[in-house]
Amino acid sequence: MLKKLTYLTLIVASTQFFTACTGSSNKSSDSDELAITDSLASDAPLELSEEVIGDVIQNVSSPVEMANLIKSSGVEFSQKILNNTEKVDEYDTSFKRALNLGVYSADLGYINTFDKNTIVVSYLLAIKNLADGIKVGQFFDFNSLKRVATNSNNLDSLMEISVSSFNKMDSYLRSQKRSNVSSLIVTGASIEGLYITAKAIEATKNQDLIDRLAEQKDIVNILMIILNNYSQNESFAELASKIAVLEKAYESVKITTEFSEPKSMEKDGKLVIVQDEKSIVEISDETLKAIIKEIEVIREFVVL
Amino acid sequence: MRKIIFSLIVLLSMSYASYAQCGDDLLKQALKEMGESQYIKDYTIELVKDKKDTKTGYVKFSVVLQSRTQYKFNLANGDTNPEQIILQVKQGDKLEASNMHNGKLYNEFEFICGKTGVYNLLFSFKGGSEGCAKAVQSLVKQF
Repeated sequence: MLKKLTYLTLIVASTQFFTACTGSSNKSSDSDELAITDSLASDAPLELSEEVIGDVIQNVSSPVEMANLIKSSGVEFSQKILNNTEKVDEYDTSFKRALNLGVYSADLGYINTFDKNTIVVSYLLAIKNLADGIKVGQFFDFNSLKRVATNSNNLDSLMEISVSSFNKMDSYLRSQKRSNVSSLIVTGASIEGLYITAKAIEATKNQDLIDRLAEQKDIVNILMIILNNYSQNESFAELASKIAVLEKAYESVKITTEFSEPKSMEKDGKLVIVQDEKSIVEISDETLKAIIKEIEVIREFVVL
Repeated sequence: MRKIIFSLIVLLSMSYASYAQCGDDLLKQALKEMGESQYIKDYTIELVKDKKDTKTGYVKFSVVLQSRTQYKFNLANGDTNPEQIILQVKQGDKLEASNMHNGKLYNEFEFICGKTGVYNLLFSFKGGSEGCAKAVQSLVKQF
C-alpha cells in the first residue's frame, strides 16, 4: 500500500514540478491533429531557422501605438474602412485565414482604441472562427472575451486578454514549427494597420500620421524578410511580390537621426528616461501617394 | 517510508508554491501597477541555472518602439527571488534605458522613444541569480 502511495505521490509531484517549471502555457503534443493540411504545408528548406524567424516576427509592432495616434489626430471612427466580418466564411484556405486573422486583430485594436464596444463581439467572433480554422482556436476563450467586451468599462481588459491570447498562440505556433502561420498573422495585422493609417491620412492630412507611416519603412523591410523565407510556397511568393512593390515605393523616404543630450529624471519616485536620438523623416507628396496606392493594392489582395 | 512520503508531499507543495509565485498573480500585480496607461504587451521571465553554470544569463525579446512615444515598463518580481529583475532597453549594443539607474533599482520606468526601430529588451537578475518575473509594456502618451 505504502509503495503504491509513494509511487502515486512521485508521479503527481513530478507532474506538478514540470508544470511549475514551464508556466501556465497551453500545451499539446499531438502535432498531427493540429497540422495544417492545405496550402501552408511545405517540406522545402527555409533560408532562416524557425528561431531566427521567430525573433524577426517579434519585431513587427503592435497596432496600439498607431491606433492611438489616429485617435489623437481627431479623425472620426469609421467602421467602413475595416474588413467586413461577413467575409469570414469566404476565407477557406489556411493562407487566407491566417492573413485575415491578423487583419481582424488590427481592426480589433482600432475598435478598442475608439471604445466602440457595440461592434467588438462580431470581430471577436470572426477572429475565433478563423483561429479555429487554422487549429489555434483553443487560445481564444470566446465566452470570456465576449463577457469582457460587452462591459464598456472593460475594454482595456479585453485588450489584455486578446493580446495575451495572440502571444500564447504565437508561442504555440513557433513551438510547433508553424512560424509560417505566425508570419501571415503579423503580415495581415501590419497591412491592416498601414491601411487604416493611410485612410486616416486621406481624411486628415495629419503630418504626425504621415511621418509615422513613412517611418514604417523598416517594418516593410522586415515583412519582406519574413515572407521571402517562405517564398517556395506560391501564395507566399505572390504576397511577397506585392510587398516588394511597396518596399520600392518606400525607397525614397529619407530617415535621418539627430542627436541630443540624454536625459533622465526622477519624479515622485518614478524614473523617466528620454532617448538622446530623434528621427527626422522626409517624404514627398508624390512618394506618400505612391505608398498609399500600394498599401491599398496589397490590402485588397489580402481581404478579397 | 513515512518520512519519504512526507518529503514528497513537501516537494509537491513547494512545486505548487513555485508555480503560484510566477503565475498569473504576478502578471495581475504588474498590470495593476501599470495604472492608466494603455497595455501593449507582457513578458514572462524565468531564469534557471544550467548544471554547468554558476550564474544565469539573460532573456532577450525584440520589440519595435515608435518615435515620439512615451512607454512604461512595470516589473513584478517573484516572491522568492533572491534578487530583483533588471531590464535593459538596448538598440544594437547601445544601452538606451534601464530600471537600474545610478545604482538604484526601480520597479517601473518610463522611456520616451525618439527613434522608431527594433529594440532589444534584456532581462537578467543581479549577480546572475535564479528567479522569475513578469513585465508589462504600456503606452503612456504620444507627442
